[in-house]
Amino acid sequence: MNADASTAVTAGARNGAAWVAHALEAEGVDTLFGYPGGAIMPFYDALVDSGLRHILVRHEQGAALAANGYARASGRVGVCVATSGPGASNLVTGIADAMLDSVPMVCITGQVATPLLGTDAFQELDVFGMTMPIVKHSFLVRSVDDLPRVLSEAFRIAREGRPGPVLIDLPKDVQVGAATHLPVHVPAQVDPEPAPPQAALAEAVAAIAAAEKPVVYGGGGIGLADAVEEFRQFVEATRIPTVLTLRGLGALPANHLQYLGMLGMHGTRAANIAVQESDLLLVVGARFDDRATGKLAEFAPFARVIHLDADAYEISKLRTADIALPGDVAAGLRALVAAGPSASASATQDDWRRRCTTLREKHAARYDAPGTDIYAPALLKRVSELAPDAVIACDVGQHQMWVAQHCRFNHPRNHLTSGALGTMGFGLPAAMGAQFACPDRTVVLVNGDGGFMMNVQELVTIARCKLPVKMVLLDNSSLGMVRQWQELFFDKRYSEIDLSDNPDFAALAQVCGIPARHVTQRAEVEDALAALLASPGPGLLHVTIDARANVWPLVPPNNANSTMLDSNPNEQRAEAQHAIPA
Amino acid sequence: MRYRLDLVLKPAEGALVRVLGMVERRGFAARSLSGALAGDDGRWRLQVVVDGVRPAETLKRQLQKVYDVEAVEIVAVDADAVSGAAA
Repeated sequence: MNADASTAVTAGARNGAAWVAHALEAEGVDTLFGYPGGAIMPFYDALVDSGLRHILVRHEQGAALAANGYARASGRVGVCVATSGPGASNLVTGIADAMLDSVPMVCITGQVATPLLGTDAFQELDVFGMTMPIVKHSFLVRSVDDLPRVLSEAFRIAREGRPGPVLIDLPKDVQVGAATHLPVHVPAQVDPEPAPPQAALAEAVAAIAAAEKPVVYGGGGIGLADAVEEFRQFVEATRIPTVLTLRGLGALPANHLQYLGMLGMHGTRAANIAVQESDLLLVVGARFDDRATGKLAEFAPFARVIHLDADAYEISKLRTADIALPGDVAAGLRALVAAGPSASASATQDDWRRRCTTLREKHAARYDAPGTDIYAPALLKRVSELAPDAVIACDVGQHQMWVAQHCRFNHPRNHLTSGALGTMGFGLPAAMGAQFACPDRTVVLVNGDGGFMMNVQELVTIARCKLPVKMVLLDNSSLGMVRQWQELFFDKRYSEIDLSDNPDFAALAQVCGIPARHVTQRAEVEDALAALLASPGPGLLHVTIDARANVWPLVPPNNANSTMLDSNPNEQRAEAQHAIPA
Repeated sequence: MRYRLDLVLKPAEGALVRVLGMVERRGFAARSLSGALAGDDGRWRLQVVVDGVRPAETLKRQLQKVYDVEAVEIVAVDADAVSGAAA
């Protein structure tokens, strides 16, 4: 698009776009992900003279999800950039994903010049309006003079309290407007959240001491608050059995003796039984998501609830808290540890601890599946063993649940998963962003054949940047989770789940410049994984798995978590009907 | 249940849309609306009467998270008192 006279770049003098680039550097941003276009061209011009590293993706959704993955893996603010109109609308899914999983991001979009706003100008789109429900806050900057306040507030808001995405819509005339008079950008300080109220903390300590069957239910808020150490100290000081949500995985190491596993729809039996039997739930940075609770009315029916969360809105939103602890999660946990576990509580809770240990041992996952097909859970467990400190990103669907169940995480930031939004296409760009955030670490992408194709164009970005992302593509030639639900809940009426005409994934990766290998037999897995992880650059391991494999155990949707299934109940009944009577 | 929201907003672009969007997305229906730029502080006072079956306290806390909302109070009102409440 040609720049007209009103938006022509003034060579030499610092303009609004250059000031924005300066502010990003001052905020500590080193990497941004984006895609240029007409209305954002002055900013891209400013990048030429800045110290910022811009990663040119192949689709704006890739930019938003790469910034999202960068932020998740590093805890820093992820930044993405797109032009107006379709560039901006292509960011939307990545922004929404960040909103629902509380990921700090600043998203910058070009916009038509302010005199053209509201005239249906070329590539004009009200991205400020269309993103309102999916941002923590947003700004349409109508004057260069507003830039210092907007940039400062954007980064503060993205980081403070419960993090989230902030959108800055930058009209072209603001980008090219003279900014020589603007001050040097000073990053805004983020004030820590206040600790929960003392009186409520004292109530919580008393309730813990009085409980006979307490369970800690930890979620993504632990990692977001950088409270992993505090959480572990609290759990170990109180010796309370602990379950984690999908986004909480890693808050306790998977081999921790008090850890019963993930709760919820695809959680462990031990976790779900313990929660259902508990008389006190200590909810830490979690929000009673329906995938965690199952049928809410029957969730933890005997439990009083203590709820500690940075977002006061989450407390009593779905399950009324008996003791509300709004405030900083780390400070709250420190206060609870300082109050000291009660010796009497420890003694009265010993039977419960033994019960939970028995549950944990009895319902441990098994990896001795019959046959020679590649068994995805065993493969994923092996990935974790071979790369115990890796950042593992995944996509959405069956493989996502297998990753949650069978990979071993020792920190929440090592597990990049689209929890709340369930964004297919998340994995590949998120892994890319994570590798930029953690250049010296092993980043593994586990993907399904459906989601892989949704942002497959970023293979080219990975190859271009020589990012050593290790990709494991679990291919069941179908949309596996949808197929599983159709099998179980739609009477095997399979509808639009067949992907048997997938491309040759290894060849596809190779065309993009990425070494690849295809395996189909269990005996090949060990060597293939070792070779993938040992390779210096990017690599793709295409793994054909049994198309009929399902994710077990499973709580059917809107059922109590006590109703977990280990296999298709209809097939169990059919087998029983055909059984020879004794 | 019917409630009246008494809001103080920053006079920022989008503030009104954010508030009404939040009210509707969180399960409440706006029944009447009045407001004006008022006072020496340049803030915008807005009253919204809403119907909803969900707890009003959760809507209040959600509105408190909207950055353009500086203050929000929610009071239960008589279901027949729409015009009076919003006057």
